Amino acid sequence: MSSNAPSIRVENVTQRFRVIQERPDTVRELFSKLFRHQSSYHDFEAVRNISFDVPAGQMLGIIGRNGSGKSTLLKVIAGVYRPTKGSVRVTGTIAPLIELGAGFHHELTGRENILLNGLLMGYSKRAMLERQDRIIEFADIGDFIDAPVKQYSSGMYMRLAFAVATEVDPQILLVDEILAVGDAGFQEKCFARIRKFRESGKTILFVTHVMGDIREHCERVLLLEQGSIVTDARPEEAIAMYKNLVTPELVGAD
Amino acid sequence: MESFTIGHEYRYVVRRFLYHMTDLFRDSYRYWELIWALALKELKIRYKRSVLGFAWALLNPALLMLVLTLVFSTILRFNIPHYAIFLLSVLLPWTFFAQSLSYAVEAIVTNGDLIKKVAVPKLVFPMAALVSNLINLLLSLVPLIILVLLMRHPFYWTWFYLPVPLLALAIFTLGMTFFFAVANVFYRDVSHILQILLSAWFYLTPIIYPLDAIPARYHWFFKLNPIIYVINGFRLAVYYGKLPHAQSIAASFVCAFISLIIGYSIFRRYQDTFVFYV
Repeated sequence: MSSNAPSIRVENVTQRFRVIQERPDTVRELFSKLFRHQSSYHDFEAVRNISFDVPAGQMLGIIGRNGSGKSTLLKVIAGVYRPTKGSVRVTGTIAPLIELGAGFHHELTGRENILLNGLLMGYSKRAMLERQDRIIEFADIGDFIDAPVKQYSSGMYMRLAFAVATEVDPQILLVDEILAVGDAGFQEKCFARIRKFRESGKTILFVTHVMGDIREHCERVLLLEQGSIVTDARPEEAIAMYKNLVTPELVGAD
Repeated sequence: MESFTIGHEYRYVVRRFLYHMTDLFRDSYRYWELIWALALKELKIRYKRSVLGFAWALLNPALLMLVLTLVFSTILRFNIPHYAIFLLSVLLPWTFFAQSLSYAVEAIVTNGDLIKKVAVPKLVFPMAALVSNLINLLLSLVPLIILVLLMRHPFYWTWFYLPVPLLALAIFTLGMTFFFAVANVFYRDVSHILQILLSAWFYLTPIIYPLDAIPARYHWFFKLNPIIYVINGFRLAVYYGKLPHAQSIAASFVCAFISLIIGYSIFRRYQDTFVFYV
C-alpha cells in the first residue's frame, strides 16, 4: 500500500433524511393517508454534496454547530448509512468511536461483551480472544469485568468500550465527542492512546466542541455548517471562522 | 422499461435467484461467528436469572410432554396409541417454527439502536433468532427420545431421516423470518398480526389431529398449506417409522426455497433503509 494513498475518500456525498411529521406507524394510518392523499413529510439533507480526501496518517478535526452534520458524516464514513448520493471509499479497518458501547448488552458480563462487540465490529473471535487480556488491562475496572454491564457506572462502561474499540488495532479511528465524558485521568489515558495512534501513522477523524483539543491534536480542520463544508483549513483559521459563526448567536441571545 | 422475451425473463429470474442465494450463503458464512454469538446471547438471556438456568431448555419440553401425556392418556382419550409421541413429533418442529418467527419479527426493531450506531450486516439478526431456536429444538429432542423409550414406542431407524425435514423446515422458516422482520420495520402491526396468523395456522395444520380426521373433500385445501409437507415428514419418521413419498419431500423443499427466495429478496431490497425506520 503506498503511503500517500488517501485512506478515506468522500465524493459528492449527500445524506438525505425523510422527516415525517406523522409517519403512518400502523396500517390504519397508512390507509387513511393513502385515501386522503396526504404526504406529511419533507426531505432534509443532513449532509450536502461533501467531498474531501483524508491522507493516511492525518488527524482531521471536524467542527461545527449542533446539527451541522458532523455526526451524520462520521456515520456515513463508518457505513451506518448508505449515502443517498455520492460515494465513500475507505482503505483499511475502521474503529468507530461514535457511540461507545453501542453494541453492549446489559445482561452480559464485560468479558462476554468484549467478544460480542468485537464480532459486531467485524473482527474474528480469535482476534478478540487474543486481545482480551490487553483490553481488560486498559479498561482497568477490576473484578467488574465478570459482572453484567448493567451494574457498571457510566465511567466504567465507557472505559471498557473505549478499550475494546481501540485495542483491536484499527487503521482508521472515528472519534465523536466521546472523550468529553469520563474523569480527567481516563481522558488523559485516552489522549495518550490517540497520540500513540498518530505516531504509528493511523488516520483519525475527530469531532469535538473543545477547540483546545482541536488545536492541540489536529493538523487540518473541516468546518461544517448546514451540511456543507464552509472551510477546510489549518486549525487556527477554521476555529476563528467557527467563532464568527457562533458569536452572532450569543449576541442575539442578549 | 426493458422488454424481455419469455426465454430471457426465465434466464434473468434464474440468474437473480443464484445471485441472491450465493450472496446469502457467503454472508452467513462470513458472519457465522457473530450469528452464533448472538444466538447464544439470546439463549443466555432467556435463561438468565433462573435458578436452573440452561436446564430449562430441556426441562421445558419435558414438562410439556408430561402434561400432554397425562391429559391425553387419562382425560381426553383419542383413538391414537401413544398420542403424546404422535403429537410431539410435530409439535416440537412447529414450536421451533412459531418461536423463530415470534423472535425474528422483532429482531430488527429491538436491535434498532445498534443498527443506528454500528455498521452491522442486518441479516445476522433474523439468522440469530433462527439459530437460537434451532438449538432449542435440538435440545428438546432429548426429552422426546426419553419419552419414546419410556412409553416403549418402537425406536424406528427412520429417525436418521430427520435431518432432511429439519433442513427443509429451517430453510422455510428462514425465508419467513426474513419477510416478517422486514415487514415489522415498516408496519408495527405485523407483530400482532403474526400471532393471530400463527394460531390460525396451527389449527389448520394437522398437528393435534391426523389428516385422516379431516373429510377427504377438504384435503385439497390442506395441501395448499406449505408447511404440511415438512411436518408430515417428522411425524412419519418418528411416529410411524415410515419415509414420506418422494413427491412430498420434493414439495417440502420447493415450498422451503420459495419462502427463502421471497423472504430474502425483500430483505435485501430494504435492508439499507432499516436504519431510517427503527
